[in-house]
Amino acid sequence: MQRLFARYPALRAWLLLLPAATWLFIFFIAPLFIVLVYSFLERGTYGGVVWQFSLENFRRTFDSLYFSTFLRSFYIAAVTTFICLLLGFPLAYYISTRPPQRRSTLILALMIPFWTNFLIRTYAWLTLLRTNTGLINVSLMSLGIIDKPLPLFGNDFAIILGLVYGWLPDMVLPIYATLERLDTSLLEAASDLYASSSKVFRRVIWPLSLPGVVAGSMLVFIPSLGAFVTPAILGGGKSLMIGNIISNQFLAAHDWPFGSALSFVMMAVMLLATLIYFRSTTSEERMQP
Amino acid sequence: MSSESITQQVPSMSRRSRWARVKKSMGEFSLSLYGWGGYFFLYLPIVILVIFSFNDSRSTAQWSGFTFDWYGEMIHDSQIILSLWNSLFVAVISTIISVVIGTLAAMAMERHVFRGKLLMDAVLYLPIIIPDIAMAIMLLIFFDISGIGFEPWKVSLFGIRLAVPYSVIISHVAFNISFVAIVVRARLAQMDRTLEEAAQDLYADTWQTFWKVTLPMMMPGIMGGALLAFTLSLDDFVITFFTSGAGFNTLPVRVFSMIKKGVTPKINAVSSLMLVFSLALIGISLLLRKGGDEEPTIGIGL
Amino acid sequence: MSDGLAVELRQVVKRFGEVTAVESVSLQIQHGEFFSLLGPSGCGKTTTLRLIAGFEMPTSGDIIINGEMQGHLPPYQRPVNTVFQHYALFPHMTVAQNVAFGLEMKKVSKDEITRRVGEALELVHLGKMGSRRPKQLSGGQQQRVALARALVNRPKVLLLDEPLGALDLKLRKAMQGELKALQEQVGITFIYVTHDQEEALTMSDRIAVMSAGHVFQVGFPEDIYENPNTRFVADFIGETNFLHGTVHRRGPLAEIAIAENVILPARWASDELPAGSSATLSIRPEKILIASGDEKPPSDGEFVSVPGQVAEVVYLGTDTRYVVRIVDGVQTVVRVQNLEMGNKRFKVGDAVMLHWRVEHGRILKE
Repeated sequence: MQRLFARYPALRAWLLLLPAATWLFIFFIAPLFIVLVYSFLERGTYGGVVWQFSLENFRRTFDSLYFSTFLRSFYIAAVTTFICLLLGFPLAYYISTRPPQRRSTLILALMIPFWTNFLIRTYAWLTLLRTNTGLINVSLMSLGIIDKPLPLFGNDFAIILGLVYGWLPDMVLPIYATLERLDTSLLEAASDLYASSSKVFRRVIWPLSLPGVVAGSMLVFIPSLGAFVTPAILGGGKSLMIGNIISNQFLAAHDWPFGSALSFVMMAVMLLATLIYFRSTTSEERMQP
Repeated sequence: MSSESITQQVPSMSRRSRWARVKKSMGEFSLSLYGWGGYFFLYLPIVILVIFSFNDSRSTAQWSGFTFDWYGEMIHDSQIILSLWNSLFVAVISTIISVVIGTLAAMAMERHVFRGKLLMDAVLYLPIIIPDIAMAIMLLIFFDISGIGFEPWKVSLFGIRLAVPYSVIISHVAFNISFVAIVVRARLAQMDRTLEEAAQDLYADTWQTFWKVTLPMMMPGIMGGALLAFTLSLDDFVITFFTSGAGFNTLPVRVFSMIKKGVTPKINAVSSLMLVFSLALIGISLLLRKGGDEEPTIGIGL
Repeated sequence: MSDGLAVELRQVVKRFGEVTAVESVSLQIQHGEFFSLLGPSGCGKTTTLRLIAGFEMPTSGDIIINGEMQGHLPPYQRPVNTVFQHYALFPHMTVAQNVAFGLEMKKVSKDEITRRVGEALELVHLGKMGSRRPKQLSGGQQQRVALARALVNRPKVLLLDEPLGALDLKLRKAMQGELKALQEQVGITFIYVTHDQEEALTMSDRIAVMSAGHVFQVGFPEDIYENPNTRFVADFIGETNFLHGTVHRRGPLAEIAIAENVILPARWASDELPAGSSATLSIRPEKILIASGDEKPPSDGEFVSVPGQVAEVVYLGTDTRYVVRIVDGVQTVVRVQNLEMGNKRFKVGDAVMLHWRVEHGRILKE
């Protein structure tokens, strides 16, 4: 055995990888290909599939009904990412400028909601936002500030709020990681060279934190685009995203080929976003995990 | 003459510097305020959620007194208890399997150069990047047409009979392998390789070196990976929901269907219970980190 | 023990892909010797050590330890132990567990392990530190644990890879003496890798000077210093003057012309070169006497005398460093020990005579 390993060093690597490779090729890569194949098939009359090649499913994704949902999902994910950046950057900056001991406490405090079940965090907002029985509307009405409930629930606002809440730590952590590495003497050097604080930010802090910003944006955008739980709970059955349309094809409409095609288009959009990320950044600009 | 000009300059200088100081402390103050506001935003919904789990009415918006009733109802709801056991069982089994497989994969990826490594890297990263919903329907179709997986694994734990579909465990392992591999690999990357050479130099053969040096050194990474896998498995809703077939609930799946039926403080109670689980896991990971006295690794999940 | 050698390397070559790290190195190391591999970083000295330890396998050539061919034997089957540059102490074990590791692997009995670990720790003056963790020790103490961990196995040969490199200067000096004393006490062959020429000169019985994968010279410290056989060795070890010129006359006592009218006799450092070929005369600064024009050189022996002009004077405390111009474009450094207070010192611009013994001048190939 030892001699075999000495002669073929890759043998040892593949033996170590064998379980992972087997598992992932059978239970991940194979399903991925099956979905791809399914997306080119036709739907059977009573659910199921007919083995007939067809591009109909992909054509249908461009039907106004589905295409508009795609666009809306894209819009919601983009707005979510933007708001996360707007809220997350100062928060990351705040954490990074605290003394080291405080910093690790604050990061831990950021991780706790993050490690809490996503479903529960979404449910928490449900109890706050619901139109007639949500805490916010009930409180505001009983205080006499408003006499009609505010439209906080079952719309894009609720979904975006839920997504921002859910993914904000994903934006803050990578930005914090770059800001923390930032050499404070750079800032001192900049102000020593007569830069005002806004200029220090624009010319030094922002460019240097860009890798974190880009990484954070990816980490927020991709799961927001593929969101399923948030619109299912906070969308109130009215405001839907692409993830819900996909799930409907499997749970209600029994149109598996079309659901496959939709999820493929969704993954293609994400792949595109990832590629743009890798193209627009050099390896130094990218976050090192 | 010269001393006069100095005394004249001093007040204007100090006025300017005082203004700069005021500006600076105002900036500092608003930043602090913002920071507190950010954490307030993150914690408030969770705190309210917990508070209303003790509410003495069906409302989750109007406080009507303190009670433990909802916790009582929760404990006596056999469906919830069963789904809790299901959750724990799936999490434990899938963590054990994925930790072994993921650790082996991490060793291969970190320690070896071979053809196909780039492909394997991509295969390991994909389950992390792909959204839950896409992975869920992929696996659903796969289990449906292959016909494997949906039959249950029947076990009896502390007198409770569980019937856990293999498909759920298989799916959880499929997404957990990657997370374990990444965490363990990061640990391996920072490990000093001369330690293994030192062991070999001191007459330890390949196996002895692995058991006596490599494995103990990897342990913090393995434990970290295990905790992450356990948490992800315990928290997963989407993939379990789609791959379990009818009639099988983990706690998150149960909570989702309860939410769909209507909001009651009982859901708040279940949520609070899950929160306690999460906090306990974070506590354990902190203890481990202290034992491993190293840089805290920030786990960023998608 | 047919040849009585501790370690022998026969034309060992090591390539990493396209890069050749060690190029046909042959060495013979005696039992009980303190043998140093000296060279700048990247010269192949560490690779040579790793080849002996078995961490790397030679591309070609043989390694013989204690009369036995090592072939492709893994490190754990070789009768050598290593002290690593950064010690490589197992952080998850106590000091005593670290030291006991090798004995446990060799399945030595429990009682004997306890006894020998105790002895080894006493040997390096760490008798009371056995239950500590490596991280709780200072750099110097960690160094000693690494030594004890290797020596406790009673290896035939101990390999040391820049073991003092991570210590501060003062501690390094102290450890040098300690290491040397320890080696004499235990009588084990030491192969010591270092880039510090002073360290090598003070501690070694013999030194091999390496560069770019080749061994340039093997010899006793004073040999290496006094009789460098190549320009590289002369330059790498100590300070030296290089006077470029052409071979004027061959023979056991050759002459080299460094300028039109300046012809200097010197000895060959290596093979003789034909007349007319370019060569370099190497002369150590401290071998040169600086005197005023009317002073005669000492009468015991044959001296080379050259006139010059002082271009620079630097007072260095223990000695004074003069830069003397011999002819335009040819300068030489002279070091004069400051034996007395107010020693007669020359000023910039003074005309002086330089004298040195003929045998101190060495002609090297270009």
